Amino acid sequence: MPIRIAKGIVGREYPPFPVTVERGRIKDFARALGDPNPFYLDDQVGAASEWGDVIAPPTFPVSFRDERADSGAILRDLGVDISRVLHGEQEFEIHRQLTPGATYLCRTRVADVYEKTGKSGPMAFVVRETAVTDGAGEIVVTMRGVTVIRL
Amino acid sequence: MRYGRVYVEDVTVGDELPPLVKGPIQQIQLTRYAGASGDFNPIHQDDEFAKAAGMGGVFAHGMLSMGFVAQALTDWAGAGTVRKLGVRFAGLVRPKDVVTCRGRVLARSSKDDLHLVDLEVWAENQRGEKVVTGKATLSLPSRA
Repeated sequence: MPIRIAKGIVGREYPPFPVTVERGRIKDFARALGDPNPFYLDDQVGAASEWGDVIAPPTFPVSFRDERADSGAILRDLGVDISRVLHGEQEFEIHRQLTPGATYLCRTRVADVYEKTGKSGPMAFVVRETAVTDGAGEIVVTMRGVTVIRL
Repeated sequence: MRYGRVYVEDVTVGDELPPLVKGPIQQIQLTRYAGASGDFNPIHQDDEFAKAAGMGGVFAHGMLSMGFVAQALTDWAGAGTVRKLGVRFAGLVRPKDVVTCRGRVLARSSKDDLHLVDLEVWAENQRGEKVVTGKATLSLPSRA
């Protein structure tokens, strides 16, 4: 009997949360990827660059989390166990580079939930969109992720 | 210089991205990526957990491979050039796999001071199976 997921979460918006981009986290992220690019890692190269500081790698915003909340909130709302979850798709639109010390606001909403049956059985797809804005309310990054749940 | 800049005038539709070879993937990299990204799903760390989940063992975060694809783009065009990157995770990457990231220029456009290059991008394992497929848009400087 396939499990059922709570489709009622379509349209749900999660409480906006602030993130502050930390210099060390940018570097940890680049090193975890094995990417030695000096524009991420070398403060002097960053200071001399057009951005005036090191910048974050393109996929860095995936690390943005609401530090006040348990990261399992969406899974709990869906009623699924983490062992059934796969990452299906991911998209980043980068309007401006992220630099250390800046604080941004992240707003996540569940844009869609749908079910499909693939080669490996029935699956549900949860589409999440996150807008990252600066202090003036301008969009800096948008992210769109599709989580696949094996039912 | 490895981290040179590519100017929009240097780019022709059909150009291929220099391939970026990453790996072999080691468990320690998955652990390090978990810490850096905050994704601590045990399915990427604990072989018994991953087997019990029906996944046949540990596999890499999709986002690790996406990060490799982003690196292939920035190694070529320069840091800070990626304006858009969207991928589908088409296959699992396992420890010991070697991931090669590739891309090809699909289109080039300029409007005022904005010069954009669209690419198809993908990553494949050592058997030539695609593990990531997607598209990217880079914003490049002009010599003009």
